Amino acid sequence: MKIAVCIKRVPVMEVKFAIAKDGASVDETGLKYDVNDFDLWAVEAALQLNEKNAPGEVTVISLGPDAASEQIRKALSMGADKGVLLKADKVPGDAFAVAEALAAELKAGAYDVILFGKKSIDFDNSATGAMVGELLGLPVVTGVSKLEIAGGKGTAHRAVEGGVEVLEFPLPAIVTVDEGLNKERLPSLKGIMAAKKKPLETKPAQLGGAGVTVSKMELPPERAAGRIVGEGAAAVPELVRLLQSEAKVL
Amino acid sequence: MTTGNVVFLVILLLAAAFLAYNAQRLYRYMTVVGKPEHRLDDPARRLWNLLTIGFAQTKILRDPTAGASHAAVFWGFLVVTVGTVEVFVQGVWHGFSYANFLPAPLYALYALSQELFALLILAAVSFLIYRRVVLKPRRLQGDVVHGTEAVMILATIGLLMVTLIVTGAMEAIYEPEAPAGYGRLVGHGLAMGLSGVVSADTARTLRDVSWWTHAVAVLGFINFLPYSKHLHVLVSLPNVYLSNTSGPGTVGAMRYMDLEDESAEQFGASDVEHLSWKSLLDGYACTECGRCTAACPANLTGKLLSPRKIVVNTRQRLMEKAPLVVGDPEEFRRPTLVEGEGADAGSPTVAAALENRLLDNYITEEELWACTSCRACVQECPVSIDQLDIINELRRNLVLMESRFPEELQPAFTSMERNGSPWAFSAAAREEWAEGMDIPTMAEVFERGERPDILFWVGCMGSFDDRAKKITVAFARVLKAAGVNFAILGQEETCNGDPARRMGNEYLYQMLAKGTIETLDRYEVKTVVTFCPHCFHQIGNEFPQLGGDYEVIHHTTYIERLLQDGRVPLDTEEGKALTMVYHDSCYLGRYNEVYDAPRNALRRALPVVNLVEPARTKSRGLCCGAGGGRMWMEETAGKRINVERTEELLATGADAIAVACPFCMTMMTDGITAKGSEVPVLDISEVIASRLAAGTPALAGD
Repeated sequence: MKIAVCIKRVPVMEVKFAIAKDGASVDETGLKYDVNDFDLWAVEAALQLNEKNAPGEVTVISLGPDAASEQIRKALSMGADKGVLLKADKVPGDAFAVAEALAAELKAGAYDVILFGKKSIDFDNSATGAMVGELLGLPVVTGVSKLEIAGGKGTAHRAVEGGVEVLEFPLPAIVTVDEGLNKERLPSLKGIMAAKKKPLETKPAQLGGAGVTVSKMELPPERAAGRIVGEGAAAVPELVRLLQSEAKVL
Repeated sequence: MTTGNVVFLVILLLAAAFLAYNAQRLYRYMTVVGKPEHRLDDPARRLWNLLTIGFAQTKILRDPTAGASHAAVFWGFLVVTVGTVEVFVQGVWHGFSYANFLPAPLYALYALSQELFALLILAAVSFLIYRRVVLKPRRLQGDVVHGTEAVMILATIGLLMVTLIVTGAMEAIYEPEAPAGYGRLVGHGLAMGLSGVVSADTARTLRDVSWWTHAVAVLGFINFLPYSKHLHVLVSLPNVYLSNTSGPGTVGAMRYMDLEDESAEQFGASDVEHLSWKSLLDGYACTECGRCTAACPANLTGKLLSPRKIVVNTRQRLMEKAPLVVGDPEEFRRPTLVEGEGADAGSPTVAAALENRLLDNYITEEELWACTSCRACVQECPVSIDQLDIINELRRNLVLMESRFPEELQPAFTSMERNGSPWAFSAAAREEWAEGMDIPTMAEVFERGERPDILFWVGCMGSFDDRAKKITVAFARVLKAAGVNFAILGQEETCNGDPARRMGNEYLYQMLAKGTIETLDRYEVKTVVTFCPHCFHQIGNEFPQLGGDYEVIHHTTYIERLLQDGRVPLDTEEGKALTMVYHDSCYLGRYNEVYDAPRNALRRALPVVNLVEPARTKSRGLCCGAGGGRMWMEETAGKRINVERTEELLATGADAIAVACPFCMTMMTDGITAKGSEVPVLDISEVIASRLAAGTPALAGD
């Protein structure tokens, strides 16, 4: 079985973000990057499918700058077989532009299953996987929390409000992965060493035209500091007054 | 030569040949299977260890009753062995005696020493049998076969001593004027008592029976050793000499691992062939006394881990696998030295034995992850076995080769990789504690073209943990009050990788450690002061493996020096007379032998303090339960270690508990909460900060 996983290089979130000078992008100085969490679970899902349906091959594809090869190497060290970097110095904010480039690459691959993370934790669009499905004319299942592939057919669970939806689909198909499907493995040192020798092809990304652009970014307003009104029962009237007049919650 | 001489010579040669056969067999197992390692460096240090730990029995004597008895037997044997040599030569050449060339008084002294030490051994052995049969100490509770074997060994030693004395006594009856005579007080005494009852002829016969029993029993005893855990009689002294647990080298530092080696196929150990030959020698040297397990905090609180079992399993697996590796099918069919905990793990068929391995078949994951790396087992072992080395190597294999570890560790690994801290905090939050304190960062100081005297390494706990941040503030206040020229790294500080290393993730460790070394070198750092004993140990003792050489001082030592030099402006009032108990941190104490500095700092800052000690203290101190990566793991089995320790500290009746480690702080604070107690837990620096002169609030951050 041939499986492709599309992964994205995203900033590590435990930092204080700043807005760049252009006012419409994130200041990248001091940022650290890793594989998008949802994509890590997609890689893990691909590896598990591959282990169950051997022989097969897992290809990892990422669209991004040269540095995104680090994220591809990480997926390779987890156990994927080969990588493709679709080089784009700047990743467009419009998911469709990205989807077109990915679709162009994926079309040639004759993959049985194409996996995505449900969304990227930076732009949070939840769009790319579905758009690629549309461009390739393949069935798409999004936000999957359980996945089985057998006999040229797939079964997937999606968590919906208050319950579970069970879906069936023919292959080839596109599946986007939600939290809870699995826990990604930690690459073993053996895997890390082996990944250095695995094939990683770089080619320019055939980005589509961007229909949407980010025009402005703003930080959330600073939260005012908390206030201690007083102590004990004596402070209650003042507290109630403030909750009514200032916070307007009572 | 008499017929007796010839018979004895044949027996002696056979015994020697058999012993030599077994010695070379065991040596081959160890060296063919084990990985090579150089252990002959620094002979002076090794000789010192041999004299103190080996001959002076310093570690054995840490258990005063059993230890004294063992030392009596050991020293007795050293003396009596001189006599055994005489006996052996006499067996071959009848007329031989040391008396032939020793002056009479010296020979008399020798003869007396033989009898007195034989009596001493007899007394010790009697007590040890009584102890095993009647007292049954907890740490000796193994299987029945083993206990019986130990009693048999002790009884044999007893028999050797009795025959030694009887032989002398009988000689004294038929040959009262013999040169040995007047030295043998005991023999003579016995002879006088028996002279009316036993005729000279009977004495001659009894002497021969006794002599032969003694000589044959000695040979039998020696040849039984390679088939029993009492192999330690032969292996302990070499093991002490070859061990690194008390130096040479850096005590407590984990083994260096070369990650650049492209040809390496195995990282850590999953089976005996991945261990150093020294770890295999440890297996031979272990006599299963159980002192390690009796001191193990995990074992004491009902976890599966037993350091003794780790070592015994290593030996058992070696004895299962080595015969196959060296091509010794006969030994494989009748394996020896495989008794003890885990004896049923071995396989009878070759195929199954080759499938087996030390990890999983003998030692389970659960045991390995229960270890707090507190080093109590290593500290207690009378023959310098390194149990922790084996545990660490197995953990490394689990993580690096198989990606197997408790799932709670994944977020810690991920965060160390992403955020440079085992907790998911932003680097920007690292200096939040310093807000308004006017503390310079290295970058700022460097920009001014200055170099501070010390770098205050805050550590991840000190940067992010709310309770530990108060320690950070307190120590910074002490430094400022003392006018120390210091700086912090601020946002440029990252985890130095120690937790990753202890959890077996050497790859992540080296990444973080190398990054830290780069930062420290960029700022030309020479002296580092930190209040985290884990950072202290890592940067000071393990960074040199990766080329980072700095003087690293723990804050307790640094504070003690400041106080000693009168640099800290303390309140002149005596303050309240407090009863305090200090809890030793493992990485400060057993790893680095810093026991006095924290106590002295308390005494200097609190002139009227009443410092009390818990039952287990200093080198015997009980771990708080957070070391070895346990901080990030759930503790579900058995009793919580921190509660066990807190109870012990509270039992001293102290008004406050002092600690010198942010991890201990968390564990003891949780323990206090669990016990519903209100006794405060304070870091040494907080105690000092609370005593700063004039205008300073009672406790930093409070």
